[in-house]
Amino acid sequence: MLGDPRKAQEIFETTLREAGLRAAHGELPNQRFWIFRDARWRCLEAGETDLQAEPLQLEERDITSAASSQIAQLDPTQLAIWISAAPDPQRTALALFYLDEFDYREILELAELKLSELSRLLALGRRQFQAWLDAMLPEKTKV
Amino acid sequence: MKTPRLSRRKRALLNCAPIGKERIRDRSMRSAVFRASDSNEFANQQSFDRAVAELVRIIPIPPATAEWFSTKDLFSPSKWTWKKTLRNPAVLAVGIALVVIAGVLVFQFVARLNDFPGSATARKLLTIAGSTRSVVLDPVNAEAGTLSDLFFMKHGLEHYDVPSEFADFHTIGCRVFEDDQSQRVAQIWVAEKRMQFFLFPAERDVKSGAVLRFPGWRYVHQEGWIGAVTEHGGVCFMAALRGREKDLAAYIPKAKQ
Repeated sequence: MLGDPRKAQEIFETTLREAGLRAAHGELPNQRFWIFRDARWRCLEAGETDLQAEPLQLEERDITSAASSQIAQLDPTQLAIWISAAPDPQRTALALFYLDEFDYREILELAELKLSELSRLLALGRRQFQAWLDAMLPEKTKV
Repeated sequence: MKTPRLSRRKRALLNCAPIGKERIRDRSMRSAVFRASDSNEFANQQSFDRAVAELVRIIPIPPATAEWFSTKDLFSPSKWTWKKTLRNPAVLAVGIALVVIAGVLVFQFVARLNDFPGSATARKLLTIAGSTRSVVLDPVNAEAGTLSDLFFMKHGLEHYDVPSEFADFHTIGCRVFEDDQSQRVAQIWVAEKRMQFFLFPAERDVKSGAVLRFPGWRYVHQEGWIGAVTEHGGVCFMAALRGREKDLAAYIPKAKQ
């Protein structure tokens, strides 16, 4: 969400500390996923104070069967940076989806999105990431 | 193979299809995935998603963060306390309802404790006593004890005798009427404390028809009225006045209660 492990650590700890205080006072919200939603908003707030990337029209490509082998060559940090550079709510959608811990309904609830929006954001993210992969690892796509 | 023609919603669902098929929890998603399962496009999407998820899984978690998830729950559930439970509106509502139900049951139980054969009729007659005006009674200037002859001669009512405790009371008026069960009731109004007497048939056993007797005097209350009832010869006598039990008890010898 942030592309910065130190900031992520800070937000993680702040969120848990706040939750601990609320638990101590018996004020834990009754909603599911409130802690994730809380953490997400903290990430978005923290992201707003950073240097903002200029909005770019990214290239898009159809997903190919070679995509999985291209992805396998990446370093996890590269993926994390790519996702964290995406504009929100696409960033939230991609981060939550690829965490592979929530089903689509939970993501809709968490990210406050509609199904059509989530679908569009994920499809666009895949196509843009494929284009980026093709640009980063051109020789593999020719195989 | 190309993706079959799907509705917009199904296509949207396919784009959000979970990375593992075992994680599909709803029917519409299962149906969309089933329809697209043979298409290359969807197969590419699934292998793409799996590869990305694999990469995400190997993102190292900093040791400081990992510590938080070491052994125990991050937050223990808030402590259960009586105070907190009682403040819960649902618990409060159920509690009030139970208290009201218990109150009604106790009230009914206490009321039943004082029940005796004929008490229901006696209560109804107390209501009548409260609403009767003296003008509806036939004026009679005699002692109450002498009216049994009148009831027998004029109305054919046997054993409608006023007990000796009340026989000397001076009568203002009397009447005979039928109650809602077509029983003939004699009503006497006396000068003493605006007291009223009622004579009515005693309750009988439904099967055998035998009179259900009870010894001595029994009290009934209804709408601020008090009645003392006794049974003799298959006929109940009730002395009634507006007031409390002690107002009537003075007229009834204790040994006979």
